Amino acid sequence: MTNVAFIGNPNCGKTTLFNAYTGAKLKVANWPGVTVEKKEGAFRFHNGNFKLVDLPGIYSLTSYTMEEIVSRDYILSDEVDVIVDVIDASALERNLYLALQLIELGKPVVLAFNMMDIVKERGMEIDFHRLPEMLGTPVIPISARKRSGLDILMHTVAHHKENDSNKYFEHHHEEESLHKHDHHKEFAMVYSDEIEDKIDVVSKRLSKKYKEIQNVRWHSIKILERDAEILKKYPIETEDILTKNYETEIINQKYDFIHEVIHECLVNKTEKEVFTDKIDRLLTNRFLGLPIFLMIMAVVFFLTFRIGDALKEVFAGWLDIFSAWSEAVLLALGTGEVLTSLIVEGIIAGVGGILTFLPNIFILFLALAFLEDSGYMARVAYVMDGIMEKVGLSGKAFIPMVLGFGCTVPAVMASRTLENPRDRLKTIFITPFMSCSAKIPIYVLFSGMFFPENPALVAFSMYVIGLVLGIVVALVMDKLDKKSSDDLLLIELPEYKTPSLRTVIIYVWSKIKDYLTKAGTTIFVASIILWGLLNFNVTGLVADSSESFGAQIGAFIVPALKPAGLGYWQIAVALIAGLAAKEVVVSSMSVLYGIEDISSNAGMSEMMVLLAAQGFGALNAFCLMIFSLLYVPCVAAVATIRKETNSTKHTVFSIVFQLFIAWVMATLVYQVGSLFVG
Amino acid sequence: MILTRGKKGQEYRTEQINLQENLLRRLEVLGLTEGTVISVVNKNFNGSMIIRVRGTRFAIGKKVAEGIFVREVKQK
Repeated sequence: MTNVAFIGNPNCGKTTLFNAYTGAKLKVANWPGVTVEKKEGAFRFHNGNFKLVDLPGIYSLTSYTMEEIVSRDYILSDEVDVIVDVIDASALERNLYLALQLIELGKPVVLAFNMMDIVKERGMEIDFHRLPEMLGTPVIPISARKRSGLDILMHTVAHHKENDSNKYFEHHHEEESLHKHDHHKEFAMVYSDEIEDKIDVVSKRLSKKYKEIQNVRWHSIKILERDAEILKKYPIETEDILTKNYETEIINQKYDFIHEVIHECLVNKTEKEVFTDKIDRLLTNRFLGLPIFLMIMAVVFFLTFRIGDALKEVFAGWLDIFSAWSEAVLLALGTGEVLTSLIVEGIIAGVGGILTFLPNIFILFLALAFLEDSGYMARVAYVMDGIMEKVGLSGKAFIPMVLGFGCTVPAVMASRTLENPRDRLKTIFITPFMSCSAKIPIYVLFSGMFFPENPALVAFSMYVIGLVLGIVVALVMDKLDKKSSDDLLLIELPEYKTPSLRTVIIYVWSKIKDYLTKAGTTIFVASIILWGLLNFNVTGLVADSSESFGAQIGAFIVPALKPAGLGYWQIAVALIAGLAAKEVVVSSMSVLYGIEDISSNAGMSEMMVLLAAQGFGALNAFCLMIFSLLYVPCVAAVATIRKETNSTKHTVFSIVFQLFIAWVMATLVYQVGSLFVG
Repeated sequence: MILTRGKKGQEYRTEQINLQENLLRRLEVLGLTEGTVISVVNKNFNGSMIIRVRGTRFAIGKKVAEGIFVREVKQK
């Protein structure tokens, strides 16, 4: 078994490569920081077993960020046999910096020069004969997206594992060092005489005191850089050596060497990057940047609701036919009335109703996939930095918020890219206010029923309310929190590229699969339980659901919901059930009111008549949407919040807080609205 | 002068970086050290800007830009 670790700068294509080898379908996108956890996978190649580990992207082997610590600790452990440094060959200068550090580690390293297709497009050429001479390690050109060079890379990895023979370096430095410690034949990266002297002294002391250290040179360099972790782990006498901080010099000399490498190995260094710059001139324009972003989001939601709705009608039609057919078949088979009711009114109405919203979900995630894979996401952080700064967050905190429009779970996880723990927590608290895809069925249903003139506009208003409220909450938290934030914006802006079909398909399919799985599990079970609660009470089967268990449970919290215009036991039950997943609010409504085709026009008008008879009007519907938007996210999201904050206290606070805000906002709108509606 | 006063499209050489340790190190590993050439790609109203350092574009916040002292590089 060979253990291979993929490491590299953020957004250089590690995960794309990992997916290509293992057949995994991990999420990839075009913004730095998509992978926040290390992922493992296995595959066989030429009768050899390989374990691959995909690590979060890092710029350096220092230990200043969470990602760096995770990746560095793993690379330093004995678990790794071969390190594959994935290099974005189209941004060679910065990517080679990490490569030099990895080579310094003294472990087997193979450099995978990724994005060779882009390099060729730009008319650049790389001297793959000269490169390994200068760096002393194999360099393999690949393209993870186009899946070329993959076999050669793994072949090299398999061979390089045992390769401990002395490497031969051939450098042509301008002034060949005549120093007594001439290391030019031993190491790729050789520093100035002053620093090499220090390294030699530290190395001697280190190897004398700690015999177990394998890569003494690397540790010595880290000590000269005053790396806090290494100094703590291997304390040695340094006062006489560390007369100044050598970190900046060491970094500068590495970059000097990189210049030498690029000078010799990169041919046709044309800067044909005008494409990205041209787009950026428009998208990050100081006047147009923000309006363009808002417009893009408006278009995304418009497509989701308008086109999604048209397709939904088709699905709803099929559901109608299926429902009627099932009922007929069940009756023909002589199935009992109770069982028929369970299947038709419980399962088909609940689960089927949710499935009809699949087109809406599909379009939303298709649009998000395009946004994420085009490279626009990092620009959003820049465009929103002005607003976010005013509420004490950096523009980077806005990336999790945009992801929150899709699903709260990955959005909360994406907050890991924020370095400051306080800002992370704040972002985690406000992300659930972003309207996630599970709430779409609620908006479609209720705005369709009660606001037939402008359903898309009413639905869109929910997104705006959630976004504005999230920002206001962040502002209030910032005012309460005396200490000012120090999570300042610093994010790489990748090149724009046409989203890859494979990436988009993987992304959208995984979301669709999640949705179908949810319909088949959570919503299925919730519908059955709900059907049970509505058709039984202590005396057994009931004819009128208002005497059922469900009604009794609902009635219990009706008084609390009354001021918000939601004082109906059915609504109360639907909202409780919605904690399992927000779509369940809708599936519950269909089970509660016994409507088999809730998303079709006929089903909607039937439901509206029933609701109107109870005195539930447009204002109530609007309040229900607001409450659903803001109240406690689904159990999966709560579990993620617990995991990411690692604190029960913060999780409980988050739940209570969301519930409180939802109630206050819905009540406010209902009370004020009542004055006008009468 | 401080980088925030830099003009769009102009190149500058870093003279000094006055930022808290943590941030300073993060900039350094990105290749932004004293003596590095920075070109200003874009500026926003709130003082955040897009810069190009060693062939890569970065968006930096106002407080980051304020800590970077630069001198104009004369164009040939």
